[in-house]
Amino acid sequence: MITTVTLNPAIDREYFVTNHVPKNHQYIYEEKDIKVYPGGKGLISAIDFKNLGYPDVQNMGFAGGRQGFFFERMVQEYEVTTNYIHTENEIRNNVFIIAKEPVTYTHFNDYTYQVDPQDVEEFVKRFRRGIVDSDFILIAGSIPAGIDFNIYQRLVKICNELGKEVYLQASGKALNLALPEKPKVIVPYFKHTRKILNEKVVEFEDYIRAGRRLLEEGAQYVILPFHCDRLLFTKEEVYSLSPVDFCLKNWLGAGDAYNAAFLDYVFQKGFDFIEANKYAGAAALSVAERKAIFITDRSQIVNNLDRIIIKELEV
Amino acid sequence: MENVKKYMVRNLNSVCEDDTLDSAIRYMHKYEMTILPVVDSENRFLGTIYSRNILKNILPEEYGYLESHRLLYDVNQAAENLKEIKGKRVKDYMSTNTIAVRETDTMDNIADVMLNNKESYLYVINEADKLRGYITRADLLYYLLEVGKEK
Repeated sequence: MITTVTLNPAIDREYFVTNHVPKNHQYIYEEKDIKVYPGGKGLISAIDFKNLGYPDVQNMGFAGGRQGFFFERMVQEYEVTTNYIHTENEIRNNVFIIAKEPVTYTHFNDYTYQVDPQDVEEFVKRFRRGIVDSDFILIAGSIPAGIDFNIYQRLVKICNELGKEVYLQASGKALNLALPEKPKVIVPYFKHTRKILNEKVVEFEDYIRAGRRLLEEGAQYVILPFHCDRLLFTKEEVYSLSPVDFCLKNWLGAGDAYNAAFLDYVFQKGFDFIEANKYAGAAALSVAERKAIFITDRSQIVNNLDRIIIKELEV
Repeated sequence: MENVKKYMVRNLNSVCEDDTLDSAIRYMHKYEMTILPVVDSENRFLGTIYSRNILKNILPEEYGYLESHRLLYDVNQAAENLKEIKGKRVKDYMSTNTIAVRETDTMDNIADVMLNNKESYLYVINEADKLRGYITRADLLYYLLEVGKEK
């Protein structure tokens, strides 16, 4: 069983229009112009795992309100096992409006979801029994209001108690507090704050400092997004990972593909941080250069392996 | 021959033996389920907790056959009874002789099991007896519709 955790999932709704003009009332008549799908870091990776052929994949987290049932059914359509705590409040709804003439991309990101403390405790209890058959737990994404920032720390601690490794993609205080529990792999995301461990990350030197600090604070390995590249930190070395002749079509799902493929490599061949990153980069490329948001098969990844260059940096 | 894996609902909503009836009832309400699977600390399927069984334990025996002027009294009595037992453990009210089916069982086998007992839900387990989801009568009927189409 592969376990991914998404505490703050969403129903993502994409509307494709010719032009997006404020105050203009538009009608959408064709089904292809509206896409509704379950979203959230961790969940997309769970679907990637299914597409890579893993028979048993579960996504754990919260599903909110009446729309939570709809969300859950959408996830099950991908044959991902749902292991959600249902809550009173409604799940988030993200709205994307994508226009052609001119090309505009408007995004309304819903951060209204709130979880009650009782549901959090129920989740923690469910998490403990939910991960018994998993070796490496992928935890990713933001946390809803109502959940203490120490939630990832609590989850990583449970994983440690049960002898499970953790791949954690998180940001801000939730990430900072989880570090002392020594998660195996950390992938910070910080686009919205430009900060890691409360410090601004702008110049290349800031990234190097941040990566090293994450290691000092407890991470065993760090993968740091650096524009279109990644910086890879082990206790001893720093590497850069870059795609060759990269043509971006779509960011959505690329990071999730990276996370899923990293673990896919580990599950198949054992933990080799550099090689797993190379494979993960190739997977991200296969999504970023297409319109789809999921990995569809392994051959896509393998075909891109030669286009991922990893170099050791002298810093 | 199609197997259960294709038609089951992959959902791990469950309660533990040590959960209270109070929390089990709350989960049933939240998940909109009148029954829930009971698992151990490693998700091994142990049995089922039925809302019907809880009701049987709190309703006066004659409930349902009473004249309407006594109904309010009996509802209050049921609420009082529930108050008394809501802190008790699921393990005291669960049914352990529930049949579970395996992911690899054929749908024809499911038809047999469903026809031969009253279960409208069958819980699905893997080879290690770990809960993996459930399958309903509606899923069975849908399968039969598909079989009919092929013939």
